[in-house]
Amino acid sequence: MAAPISIRGVSRRFGETWALKTVDLEIAAGEFVALVGPSGCGKTTLLRIVADLVEPSTGEVRIGSDRAAEARRKRLLGLVSQRPAVLPWKRAIDDVRFTQKIAGRVGFDPAKVLREFGLEGHEGKRARQLSGGMLQRVNIASAMAHDPSVLLMDEPFAALDEMKREEIGEWFDRELAVRPKTVLFVTHHIDEAVMLADRLLVFSPAPGRVLEVVSVPVPRPRDASFRQDPRFVAIAAHVRGLLMHKEAA
Amino acid sequence: MAADVVLPAGPPATRSSKMGPRLLPKLGLVALRVLTPICSVLVLWYLAIWFSGLPAFVIPRPERVIEALWVDHAFIFGHLLATLQVAAIGFVWANVAGIGLAILFDLLPPTRHMLMPAAITLRNVPYIALISVLMLAFGDSILSKTAIVALAGFFPVLVNTLQGLRSADEVQLDRMRILNASWWQTFSQVRLPYALPSIVAAQEITGSGSIIVAIAAEWMISSTGLGYVINNAMQNYRGDKVYAVALLATALSFLIYSFVHWLGRRLDWRAGDPRR
Repeated sequence: MAAPISIRGVSRRFGETWALKTVDLEIAAGEFVALVGPSGCGKTTLLRIVADLVEPSTGEVRIGSDRAAEARRKRLLGLVSQRPAVLPWKRAIDDVRFTQKIAGRVGFDPAKVLREFGLEGHEGKRARQLSGGMLQRVNIASAMAHDPSVLLMDEPFAALDEMKREEIGEWFDRELAVRPKTVLFVTHHIDEAVMLADRLLVFSPAPGRVLEVVSVPVPRPRDASFRQDPRFVAIAAHVRGLLMHKEAA
Repeated sequence: MAADVVLPAGPPATRSSKMGPRLLPKLGLVALRVLTPICSVLVLWYLAIWFSGLPAFVIPRPERVIEALWVDHAFIFGHLLATLQVAAIGFVWANVAGIGLAILFDLLPPTRHMLMPAAITLRNVPYIALISVLMLAFGDSILSKTAIVALAGFFPVLVNTLQGLRSADEVQLDRMRILNASWWQTFSQVRLPYALPSIVAAQEITGSGSIIVAIAAEWMISSTGLGYVINNAMQNYRGDKVYAVALLATALSFLIYSFVHWLGRRLDWRAGDPRR
């Protein structure tokens, strides 16, 4: 079951440097929000604050009615990093089961989901025997294995080439239609964000502030044809313009 | 979905019928690897005898050493068992102390600041002084000798285990935090497997080194063990016997090192990774 996220007045300072300045955001249950902006603008810091891996200097995050720490303790969160967190000594299926064992909760049948994730015949393989795309799919399956309400994704497709990235992005969007989650998605890739997200949070360079919240008023899941849609082109151009204007300033 | 590139899953389960012809060159290679160092040592040994002009009790011929080993084998092997006992008990102590402290430091990080300086200090006290103190305290007992072996071995085990526990991938640790895993789950399922190659590397040093340290301790304070045999042989100008013991100790250390190395390769989750 997806849960709403409420981010109120969240800032974070590392020493004398502000990484993030006063972010306020309400994310509805099942909504997909992408965080875009230049490197070092605090996107990952915000994601880690929501994950309760970093303490905010000010403000608070709530997942449903719980504070972030409580939500983590209740195992309501799933984390997908750029580098897959698949244990190298475990087989793909055992890695998915491992999440369920640690979380003490079986969200779904690992074999069935790996099949649905296009990994039939690869369940018994270890990380080193899988391609980048396959490994990231195992990573996502493992992150979702305990059926978290919220999925936090930090540039999950950044290590993949352009084709694979688009392909896995579209696949992931379809998967979310089957297993709805609230998603917070960090990316540098504007087209990817417009393709996948309901809303984009465009960040300024450090210290990160929200420049604008851009909505993508097209129902998900979207297929590849959306990339040719004038709305896609217009939104991507608008976001690009925002970022270029701010960087030039 | 486009076909993904899959790396090979490893060697096939069934052995090829061409194994026979392949086995011979492999055996030849192993023989060459074993024989080359032996032959090199023998050549250098004979050259040293011929060019140094030292008396036979200082540098005996290899065949004389083998003869001493054969003639006195009952006496030497009796003492060998005593040395092995000291080395084995000391080795276990070193591991209990080294791995135990590393786990404690991981579980309770402030203890690292409290105890690590003491461990470093202990490491830097000259062994001769430690041996003297232990001898005064416990005399010629198994306790004093095993304590010396443990003191010599625990520091590499501690440092390598600590380093190994810290080498766990941050991405994996984040995953465990997000799943609200317990300390034990994170330790046993992530930190320990990542630390295993480092722990094995420490065993390679400590395992083979414990034989050498046990002999040194026996040489100084004991009336049993190979150290005592060396001491006794020197007093009787029996260089051949000293060399025989040295040969035996070297072979033992080498065997222990090889066994630990082999075991380490079996336990290392990175083994078989084509990118390594």
